[in-house]
Amino acid sequence: MIIANQKPLGEIMDMLEGVRRVLVLGCRGCVAVCSAGGDKEVKILASAIRLGKGRKGEEIEVVEETFVRQCDPEYLEPLQEMGKDFDLVLSMACGVGVNFIADRVPGVKVKPALNTTFFGANLSSGEWKEMCAGCGACVLHLTGGLCPVARCAKSLSNGPCGGSQGGRCEIDPEVPCIWHEIYEKLKGFNEEASLETIMPIRDWRPSGHGGPRKRIREDLLP
Amino acid sequence: MISGSNLESILTSGQFAVTGELGPPKSGNRDIVRKKARILKGYVDAVNITDCQTAIVRMSSLTAGLLALSEGVEPVMQMTCRDRNRIGMQADILGAHALGIKNLLCLTGDHQKFGNHPQAKGVFDMDSIQLLQMVKAMRDERRFQCGEEIKGGEPRLFLGAAANPFADPFEYRPIRLKKKVDAGANFVQTQIIYNVEKFKEFMKRCVDLGITERCYILAGVTPPKSLGMARYMKNFVPGLDVTDEVIGRLKDAKDVREEGINIAVDIINEVREIPGVAGVHVMAIEWEEAVPEIVKRANLLPRPEAKIEPVLMGAQSIDEAVEQARKEAEERLQGEISRYKEEVEASKRQAEKEKEESAREINALKREMASKEDELSEKERRIQELLDALRAEKAKIVELESKGVVSTVSTVAGEVSEETKVLEEDIVSRKQLDFALRSMEAGLEALKKVLGLEDEAFEALKRFIEAEFVLKGEGPAVPTGPVTPPTEKRPPAPPEEVAQPVEAAGEEPEVHKRAKEVVNLVAKGNLLLHQGKAAEALTEFKKALEIDPEDEKAKAGLEEAQKAISAKETEEQKEEPRAEETKEGIPPTPEGLTDEEWQRKWVIRLIATGNCALYEKDQDKAISCFEQALRLDPENEKAKRGLEAAKKGEFPTYESPREEVVEEAPKKEEAEERPVAEAAPPEEKVEEVKEAAPPQKEEVKEAKPKEEAGPAPAPKAAAAIEVSGEFEFKKEETSLLDRIGSIPQDLFMEKATGSIREVVIGDGEKAITVGGASALPFHLFEGEMPHAPKIAYDVLDSKPEEMPEPLLKYYEECLDDPVKWAKKCETEFNAQAICLSLVSTDPNGLDRSSSEAAKLAKEVIDAVECPVILWGCGNAEKDTETLREITAMVTDKKVCIGPLTDANYRNLGATAMAMGLPVVASTPIDVNLAKQLNILLENLGLGLDHILMDPSIGAVGYGLEYTYSVMERIRLAALMQQDEKLQAPFICNVGREVWKAKEVKLPTDEMLGDQEVRSILLEAITAASLLFAGGELVIMRHPRAVALTNALIQGLMG
Repeated sequence: MIIANQKPLGEIMDMLEGVRRVLVLGCRGCVAVCSAGGDKEVKILASAIRLGKGRKGEEIEVVEETFVRQCDPEYLEPLQEMGKDFDLVLSMACGVGVNFIADRVPGVKVKPALNTTFFGANLSSGEWKEMCAGCGACVLHLTGGLCPVARCAKSLSNGPCGGSQGGRCEIDPEVPCIWHEIYEKLKGFNEEASLETIMPIRDWRPSGHGGPRKRIREDLLP
Repeated sequence: MISGSNLESILTSGQFAVTGELGPPKSGNRDIVRKKARILKGYVDAVNITDCQTAIVRMSSLTAGLLALSEGVEPVMQMTCRDRNRIGMQADILGAHALGIKNLLCLTGDHQKFGNHPQAKGVFDMDSIQLLQMVKAMRDERRFQCGEEIKGGEPRLFLGAAANPFADPFEYRPIRLKKKVDAGANFVQTQIIYNVEKFKEFMKRCVDLGITERCYILAGVTPPKSLGMARYMKNFVPGLDVTDEVIGRLKDAKDVREEGINIAVDIINEVREIPGVAGVHVMAIEWEEAVPEIVKRANLLPRPEAKIEPVLMGAQSIDEAVEQARKEAEERLQGEISRYKEEVEASKRQAEKEKEESAREINALKREMASKEDELSEKERRIQELLDALRAEKAKIVELESKGVVSTVSTVAGEVSEETKVLEEDIVSRKQLDFALRSMEAGLEALKKVLGLEDEAFEALKRFIEAEFVLKGEGPAVPTGPVTPPTEKRPPAPPEEVAQPVEAAGEEPEVHKRAKEVVNLVAKGNLLLHQGKAAEALTEFKKALEIDPEDEKAKAGLEEAQKAISAKETEEQKEEPRAEETKEGIPPTPEGLTDEEWQRKWVIRLIATGNCALYEKDQDKAISCFEQALRLDPENEKAKRGLEAAKKGEFPTYESPREEVVEEAPKKEEAEERPVAEAAPPEEKVEEVKEAAPPQKEEVKEAKPKEEAGPAPAPKAAAAIEVSGEFEFKKEETSLLDRIGSIPQDLFMEKATGSIREVVIGDGEKAITVGGASALPFHLFEGEMPHAPKIAYDVLDSKPEEMPEPLLKYYEECLDDPVKWAKKCETEFNAQAICLSLVSTDPNGLDRSSSEAAKLAKEVIDAVECPVILWGCGNAEKDTETLREITAMVTDKKVCIGPLTDANYRNLGATAMAMGLPVVASTPIDVNLAKQLNILLENLGLGLDHILMDPSIGAVGYGLEYTYSVMERIRLAALMQQDEKLQAPFICNVGREVWKAKEVKLPTDEMLGDQEVRSILLEAITAASLLFAGGELVIMRHPRAVALTNALIQGLMG
């Protein structure tokens, strides 16, 4: 899922300068699962805004709302009407939600309450880790299911660099060397010989370096 | 020769090479580079110029390399992949060649994290191996990385790579080095070596891999400058192996620097002896002065003389050099002139004194002076010429720069990439379309195959004949021959093809709608055809062709349907005479069956056929079938009833499988094998039963309060009394609304806008209904909760390997007999339902065969009256097999089957739909996956009123909170946001999760307390928590935990 993190409150309060009515809009998609922008977080942030404004002696009306998702047009529909009543919509969705509101709901001023970080998995309660870089040209079939693009600090294609020591990455002893893990994994399947082949230089276009990406499935188009 | 560099010629000539290292300054001061170069000059064959090592900004390696070259030192330019992409790197490579650089060392580069700009974006467009490949192709194939040809002057570079023998995994290091050599490395410089033994092993492997025959390996050596530096390298530099011996030597040394140099010399002497080592790379980091000493002591002097070509420098440097040369010449000439002048003066004076004597001498001196002056003017003229030439050169350079070669190149590249992009998008969409078409084709192929499987399908069909009737509108499957394909072999494609267009048919343009209608009709036709209803299928195909006469699939289907009809006719014709051949009107007994069995099956089939006929209102056929059945088995009740109905002309109408459950329920006791005729009994019968039912219901009502209240003794269930007697919750007598006082209701009331569907499990009066809530769990002040949550007892179908003591106490005597176990749960503990866990079928465990497990399961199902949930082992394929086997045997009971996952929902869903059974839809703790599976099952035709959602739960301490929040979110979506696809009740397999926890297995001790109390509470609290999250049916094991949970439920339900 998409992992996000709430922006520092100070930054959010700066966005609310001069705002009298704000809608704190959560999302029940990924950001709810990673405890960054679901119902609960909407409540907490709304309370923090009220308290913060109160301390400054300013008045603000904060309305809390959480949509099923902010990345599908049908769920955004209510915002067309609702949004008109607010000076600002503070979206607690990932960047996709903020963009989508900006695109689809004209006349509504939207700002982000989160920093969208990465595609990751939930290791344990409160801990998420990057697993995929969305590079658009998957090589996981060659690397035992472990991604060198997302999980190697230098996105190497051809094995561990000289900084790999004891299965750890040189940039941080907390970070495992993914190439070491790939090697061990393939060795476990007796497939380590496949790492003798040189992986050719990558085409980075599918990863977004060829311009903004779009996906079309003709058969599903209306 | 590749590049003709000094390093290359020394290595190819077989001499032992020495290279050094020069770190460019963190400034623009060229004198630092020059000074360092001069120190190394004459002591090394080439000098590595680092490329912003450790990611600290320094003078670029290209520039510093040129400065070294101007000092007559051959540079090895280093290039990393960290700071430039392939465009920048190729540009610099071309430039390096143009300016006389001949060696290039290709590196990935240190991560920017280590440097002075950790905020920088690391480029890493490629890695070192891919860089080697790229430069090799530029050099040998004269093409850029993109494939475009390099016209007129490819970069001739002697390529180097780095290797670290001390990084991990050790055994992969030589292989990775081989990759570098394969990619194009001509020479290799290793990481600093202190552990010579490990390096020897590394070299041995390199020799074995043939690396040393294809490239030159230079061993890396660094003199430790201080003890602190050695310790730092040992502890903080990844991939450096500083031995304790080295540390020890430095610690004991009087002069640490001297010892450092000795260590380096010793290592050089050792590595020289290792086969395959072609030279050394001496890196004296910020200690260049040590290099001459080390090289001298290691007896590597003198170095072969390097033939360095003069380097063309930047314009400013040229001006400066010219200026300096002019100044020097001027000074020299001025000096000479003044000297000559003095001499002339002196000689004049002398001449005056000795006029006569020196007249000739004066003449000679005059001539000499004149010639000197000539020489002077000639020199000045030459300087002027040189200056003019240089100015012209400078002007040319400026002109070249201004022509803007770069911009034209980039425009061309831009156009090309745009073209390819468009092309690529086109290909992608065409591919997607292609793929979609192919998968649709595959579905149809599968369907055809199934139609071809007639003989194999025959046996399966017989089992499903009765089940077929349950399906509305699909009842009259013709049970006469192999024409009808079996329900269980239904391929996944047709239901989906029907479902998808329906789902998507929101606001579509007319054309699409028509196309979709065709697809729909074809799919429907295929489905019908596949169900054996060829005639109906024919009409569908015809309809489709009316809309779109060109549709290939409809045409093919039409043909198929026509074939099927003619095949069926011939089959029927064959069938009749064959039936007459046998004495009693039975076809010959097939292999593997006794005559008796065959006869019984034939009777069932006849009755089924009769029932079919009844639905089709074909009175004559029905009568003849039932009569034939009665001839074979005069006592058969179903046949008698059928005959009666047929004669009276009572044709049943059938509404939906759901109602059947309710209608049938009271009649459970009648027959073991439920006849088809009962599937939809006439209304009169229902009334009869209703009249008969009340006394029994009263009994049940009486029994229940006893059990819940506890103290009242029930003679047969001692354990149950003991258990339930201990737990009583004090009920809150005043309602919430009274207690809340004056707080306005709209402050706390949140009425649900949706409600949970009801699901019935089991038959007769023991059937249980779960779901139906229109409020959050136990929020009775907000809405209805018509059915209290239910608890099922978990029964394992094989003796578990270990069972915690608190459970063993209750189940020890029946562990290896699931029938006894289930009976015990029902009679002693008053179980509301039984969950039979088919753990024995797990392919990773006992791997009991499906048929064996099915037999046992049937015994259990027959032995108890309460509803049974069949819970597979979790292996999708095995569960499909086992559960089908069981449902085929147990046609008369509405068991609940599960778990259905995304891997087997089609097959098991079809089975459940055929039999009208409720299912458990299992997903791994995820709202979206749960919803998706529900949608898939609905598309298949199974309603939400037959689905129990298993969200995959965790016990307290084992992820309960995660389960809780997912369940809560599902429930809120179902109730508050009208998310209809999530309005199914929850089932939670609590027992299984709790009783594998560590805490229930640890014996009683002071810290953890009594084992039994602990484990009961763990199970009860897990169950209670999940009930609060919306759980409607929980599966548990410990009777006391069940009693505790039940008491809680009763207390809360008021």
